[in-house]
Formats: sequence, C-alpha cells, structure tokens
Amino acid sequence: MKMKNILIGVSCALSLQLAAPASTNGGTPDLFAVRVGSAETITQGTIPHAVILIEHGKIVMIGQDLEIERGVPVFDRPDWVAIPGFVNCYSRAGMSSRGSSGTTPSVMASTELYPTEPIYSDLLDLGVTTLGLYPPGNGIPGQAVAIRTRGDSAAEMILDDGVYLKMLMRSNASSKKMIRAAFGKADKHGEDVEKAREKWEKDVEKWEKDEKKRKDKEKKDKEDGKAVADKDDEDKGPGDFVEPTPDGTASAFLGLRRKNLSAMISIRKAGDYLHLVDALGKEDFDWCLRVPLRTDIDLYEVKDQLGADNRKVILEPRLTLMAWTMRERNIPDELSGAGANVVFVPNGDDLESHKMWRFHVGHVVKRGMDYQAALRGMTLGPAEVLGLDERLGSLDAGKDANILFFSGDPLEAASQLEMVMIDGNFVSDEVVR
Amino acid sequence: MQLKKKQILTSTLAFASAVLLAAPIFSAPNYFEDDDAEEEPDTYLAVTGGDIYTGTGEVLRGATLLSKNGKIEEIGYNLYLPKDTEMLDAKGMRVYPGLVALSATTRLSQGTFAAGLDFHEFKPHDENEGICGDCGKDLEVIVPPALDPGEYSTEHIAVEGLKSDFDDSYDPYNGFLVMALGNGITTVQQSSTAIKLLRGRIDGVTMSDKTLTSFSWSGSNPAGKADLRDKFRAGNGYLVDYRRWEELVKKDKELKEPSKKGIDSRVLSVLEGRTMAKFNSNDAGDLLGIARLAQTNKFRPVIGGCVEGWIVAEELGRAGAYAIITPRTRLDRTENLAHETGSSIENAAILHKAGVQVAVVPANTSIDMGGTSGRDLLHLPIEAGFAVRGGLSDKAALEAITIVPARLLGIDHRVGTLEVGKDADLVLTDGDILHYQTFVQYTVVGGEQVYDKEEEVFYAHIRPRAEVAVDAGEEVAQKAPAAEDAE
Repeated sequence: MKMKNILIGVSCALSLQLAAPASTNGGTPDLFAVRVGSAETITQGTIPHAVILIEHGKIVMIGQDLEIERGVPVFDRPDWVAIPGFVNCYSRAGMSSRGSSGTTPSVMASTELYPTEPIYSDLLDLGVTTLGLYPPGNGIPGQAVAIRTRGDSAAEMILDDGVYLKMLMRSNASSKKMIRAAFGKADKHGEDVEKAREKWEKDVEKWEKDEKKRKDKEKKDKEDGKAVADKDDEDKGPGDFVEPTPDGTASAFLGLRRKNLSAMISIRKAGDYLHLVDALGKEDFDWCLRVPLRTDIDLYEVKDQLGADNRKVILEPRLTLMAWTMRERNIPDELSGAGANVVFVPNGDDLESHKMWRFHVGHVVKRGMDYQAALRGMTLGPAEVLGLDERLGSLDAGKDANILFFSGDPLEAASQLEMVMIDGNFVSDEVVR
Repeated sequence: MQLKKKQILTSTLAFASAVLLAAPIFSAPNYFEDDDAEEEPDTYLAVTGGDIYTGTGEVLRGATLLSKNGKIEEIGYNLYLPKDTEMLDAKGMRVYPGLVALSATTRLSQGTFAAGLDFHEFKPHDENEGICGDCGKDLEVIVPPALDPGEYSTEHIAVEGLKSDFDDSYDPYNGFLVMALGNGITTVQQSSTAIKLLRGRIDGVTMSDKTLTSFSWSGSNPAGKADLRDKFRAGNGYLVDYRRWEELVKKDKELKEPSKKGIDSRVLSVLEGRTMAKFNSNDAGDLLGIARLAQTNKFRPVIGGCVEGWIVAEELGRAGAYAIITPRTRLDRTENLAHETGSSIENAAILHKAGVQVAVVPANTSIDMGGTSGRDLLHLPIEAGFAVRGGLSDKAALEAITIVPARLLGIDHRVGTLEVGKDADLVLTDGDILHYQTFVQYTVVGGEQVYDKEEEVFYAHIRPRAEVAVDAGEEVAQKAPAAEDAE
C-alpha cells in the first residue's frame, strides 16, 4: 500500500514532463515502465513479475506487480528476464598501444580511448554496458578508466577515470623490490613535505624578525626626521605553506594509502600470492587480484586466505585441471565457496569471447558454482572493482538503468538477448515501435 | 541487610580502586613491547610408535619423537605429551631424518619455470591457445629477477636472518616440490644455497649460502694445476704473515697489516675455513693430485665424481676428503694401462673404509621422466642402495644422503640426523628407505606434516596404505627393547 502511494506521488511529480513524453533518445521515452517475467536484481534476489520504473536513465523503482499510474507508458514483456548490464572490468577492447615494463603509475588508459572504435557498440549489442580499460605493460603500467559502451566522445563515454592502479607481481626479488620501492617513494614524499614545512617555518621566523627590525628602523628614522624609505620594494614574506607536489609514483601510492585509489594486482600462481602478501607487509589499502586461469593453475592452494579476506579475484569463467593431473577443478566455485568475491572477465578481449561469456559462466555454474554468485560476478562484482557499485551492477532504485532483457535464464544457451538498455535507452527502437 | 549491601559496595570499590592502581603497573611493560610481540602458542607434533632411525647409528623401536615449534624436543619412550599435541601414528613404520639432495634442480624451488626465464601469458585468441590453455589476455612478460650475488652478504644474517634470491622466488606449492617430499627429500642444494622444502610457506627457506667454492684440477691442464698450487701457497704464506702480524701489532701499533694484494680471495676463503673447496674429477691421477694439494695446504677437499676414487682411496682418506659419488656410474677400464682404472661398484665402500666421507647423488639431479627415469633425483635413496650393493654399510649409506651432504652445505647443526634440538624434518616409510619397494608414507618438515602418500596424486594408487591392517594382530609394545646399533 505504502509502495503504491509513493509510486503515485512520484508519478504526480513527473506528470508535468509526461505532458510531452519527449523522444530525445531514439524513441525511448523519459519516463516509462517495463513489466517482465522476472528480474535478477543481484542485491535482492529474483523478483517474479517485476515492474521496473525508469526515469531519465535511472531506475526509480523496482518491485513485484507494481501498479503503474495511468499515462506512464508500460512495455509489457511477460516472457523476459531482466538483469543488470554486464560489466567487464578488465579489458583492452579498442586499444592497441604497447607498454613498457617500468613503474609508470601516472599513465592513464583514458588517453588512448578512441570513441569511434566500432567494438564498443558491438559490445553493447552483446550486453556489455560498462568496460574497465587498463593501460598496457609490465611492472606498474598505470591507471584504468571506466567507460560506458555508448557515446560519441571520450567525455561522453568516461564514467570515471583512475579507477584502479594496475600492477604485476611475480615470485622474484625484483618484483617485490618494485612494490616496496614505490611505497618508499610515498614515504620519501612525506619526509620531503616535513622538510619543506620546517624550512618554511624557519623562513617565516626569519621574515618576522627582519620585518620587526625594519619597522623599528622606520620608526627610528621617523623620529630622527629622516625620509621614509621607499615602500615599493616591501618584502611580502614567505606567504602560505605550499606542499611540494609529489611525482607520479609518490602521488599514486599516496592515493592508495589514502584510499582514493585502489589497486589491481596481477599474479600467476598461488605462490605469487604469498610473495605479494610478504612484499606488501603492513601496507593497508584496497586491492583486488587478477589471476589468469592457466590450465593447471594452483590457485586453490590459497583459497582459504582469499576467502578469509573476502578478496575480489578477477578470473575467467573456466574449468581447470588440478596441477599434475587430469582432475577437473572449478576454481571460481572453490573461491566463491571459501568466501572470496569472484569477478568474471571473458576468456578473451575479442567479440567472440564476449559473446560466449555468459555461456562460459553457465558452464561454471553447471559444475557447481552458486547461480547468484555467478551473476554477481558479471555485474555488481566488476562494478565494485571499478568503484562504481553505487551507480551500477544491480537493479535497484537510484541506479543507472543499464538493463539486459533475455528470453529466459541469461546463462542458458537457448536464451536470446532480446534487448539491451543503457542509461534508460533501448539500444534498438524495436521495443518502442 | 542494609549494612551488608554497604559492605559489599565498599569492598567492590576497594577492589576496583586496587585494580585501577594496579593497572598502570601491569600495563607498563606494554609500552616497550612491539605490537607483534603477542606470543604464539607452542605447537607440538608427536610421531608415535615408529622405529626411529636417528641417523647416528641408533634405532629406537616403537619410540616417540616429540617436536616443539619445529625442533626436536625429545625422542624416547613414555614421553609426556602436552595438551593439543598433534599426533602422527607411525606404528609399523620407520622414521628417518629427511634426506638432503645435493645440486638439485631449481625446479624444486621455482616450480615449472626456471628463475629468470622470460614467460609470456598468451593472448587467448592467438594460435598459441593449445600450448598454455589460453592463460591470459595480455602479453605479460615476467620481470627477470635481479641476480646480484653480492646482494646478501653474510653481514645481513645477524640483522634479518639468512636470505637468498631463493627466498623471493620460492614456490611453496609446486609439484616438483611435492614429488621430492614424497621421496623423502626435505633439504636441497640450489646453486650455492641450501634451502628447506617448506610447503605452503615462504618464510625461512634459506638455510645456508655459498658454502662450496669450485676449483678446477685436471691432468689435461698442467698450467692450471701449477697456477692453483701457487695460489694456495701464496694464500698460506699470507695467512702465516697475518698471524705473525696479529701477534706483533699488540706491541707495535704502527706495524702495517700484510697486504692482500695478489692473494686469491676464493683460495683464502677456503684456507680460512669459510667455505669448502670443491673439485670435479674422476681420474685417479687427478684425485691423487687433489689429495696432495689438500694435504700440503691443510684443507679438506670435496670431490665430485670421484669414479676412480677406490684406486687412491687411502690417499683421499689421509687428506680428509669428502666424495660426492654416483655408485651406478660405469667407466670402462683402460686396457692399455698397467695400473687399475675404471669404475667399481665397491667405490663407496672402499672410500668409506679409508675414511673418506661419502655423499651420494643420483646420475641426474633433475626430476624428469624423459630417459632418466630411475636415475633422477626421486631415486636418491635407490642410488644409495647401490652403494650398499657394493659393500657399504646401511648406516653409511643413510649418512651419504643425510648428514654428509648436510655437512657439505654447512647445515649439519640443523638437519641430517634426528637429535634433540635439530629441525624436526622426518620421513616415515613403510620399510627400509634404501629398499626399492619402500614408499614414503608421510613427510614432516619443521614439525609440520607436509606430505601424506594417500592424500597426494602421485603414489596414492600404488599399494594403498591399509590403515586398519597395520599391526592388527601384533600389538607393538610401547615399552620397546633398548636401542641397538643399526649396523
């Protein structure tokens, strides 16, 4: 009852705009509702007979059998299943540059974004509404950018820049030294600031002394009847304290410590994880792991540690073999079961891999992974990696209306992706017509 | 009633104030303690009921070995076991010290890929898909490790414990490591470093570093031999001068220290006893030369190969030599020579009898199935078994793969035998460790069980352990007969 009242209230407030249901966006109205067979909300489970009210590109309300004010257009699709748009947080789609192997944390992937690349609209057609694009290279190559897969300019596409700092960690002395050295630079900057402040304080003291002397002299001169010195060359003093600007490395790693920035650390095997933890020591910052699922990877060896930390782990939806055997292992399932936050990326960066993405996830579910955890791994999980979980990744009031409509279970091979909606706009105007 | 209440109140107050007063006194030491100083509880492991072959000659039948925090706390009978002691039943099994493998493949500590090897993560859609099962998306090349030999000098040890490059590249989950543990090997030499095969942990890997210095001595290079002889002579000369100066400088402080100029630092490290000199030689004549060089210059040589050692065994014994031999090596005798030449299956036995400390290595110190099956590192105890075939005692054969290699690596104070105070690195077998049918059932490293045959994929299917059948009929008495000599 309460829900209904609110709904009416909202609708009334919007009735002015309703008078002219604008069709600025390819025929999709500004305020409308979609009634579907069910909705996978990710945060509140499955809602059967869900109605989603959308206004100005945002989800205003979602619930079971919501009554819709007369006059609000309703698209009735009882066969459809709605789920949030897919988010691929780890991609190089449409980018081609080659990186180096040094420590360049200030490099921004956003500078090589070409909005005209056709792959973005192709990915949108496949249901990928958000991408995290990372800079290439080894070592610490730079920071990633989060984009929507629609837009004519970089400004239009970029959701957020500097979403995570990419790092590579391997089991060797130089890799560990690299990370320690980068944090060392942040320490050094702290010392530099201290030194600069001390120097400034001394300068202020000295200036105040000089000023006093000058004033005394002026006073004396006046008493003596001498001409007053020209005031033009008056010393303005050292002014306010200005912190020295940190260099790229120091600023990025200070950002990590202050939690303005998170890190994505790529490792290759379970042993790397132990060395990473060793290299990080007591550093406290937000980091997630990227682990390419090699056929015989031994990541299951550290699943308890990853689970205990509720660590975000980015990997492909893939079944692997237990090292040295032909025994099948379902690492996504094992990690998820242990408590880790499994985030999926397609098996590759090409279109075909994105097309097969949901089927591959389905395969991992078939072999035991929790269905909801798997869907989360394609939506809210990657949105969290990008720090955009307030805006994206689930069907909740207030979030961006990035919604996919399937003819059935999204992970089922026979299901069709019937329609893609990004920011409240249907990608094709088929529905509207 | 009222009064009683008041009393209680006062006494409570008194107590509270007492606590308040006491609090600063009790908490004061905390100011001086590190945050990490919270003491970890002691961890105990008891290996019970096994026949303990200590490696020093004794066998304790049906005895118990207690490990505390990774060190051997006690070996004996009717031991007091603290609460929460982890138990490992060794009834019907033998307990040996963990084996020490010399010059082992670095695969053991690095996993599949050798350190410093460039490694690519292939693009999944490229044609290499089949090779690595499309490992990743981007071309990521491993950063090669900085192998700076001078990086960890011995001065570091006092400050941060011994470290080597192997600490930062150790893979505690790799399959080679598990296979080695499954064949009883718990300590290995990796280049010039001795490391402990820890599983699932990366702290405390390195045990010693740079204990052997290699020299060349070959009959085909007479100039090289003369040069080495001169270097040793000069080195000894310097040491004599230095010791004399040490005495004289007490009286005359102005006296100059003898110059190290022209003195070979490697030779000096051997003469000062910081490292051992290692030679590789099989020829009897060369072995004789090495023995004489060592005797003249007063050091104990380590000789790898040593195939014709049995011919000059007496001389090698007098030189106090160590021999690292492969008993199965075959070398035909040279027919046109009048004196003895070629290999002998009795080599180890003869050398041992002459007083040479014999260590055994297999023909191939890698782990490999390609053509070397039966002769690779996993067959270390079998190789020692061949020395027994040639007449070496069981005891000396066990020493050849435990305490003698431990001495060569400078870690005999920690591993190589089962003695109180040493590391609790043990191997539990279902029979004589030198016998070809024997399987390692459990391996313990640093007081932690790291291998169980039935839990690992490698050998679980071969003669599975019948847990119930073991000693079902014959109860092994807890009070066993007194220790007896293994020989």
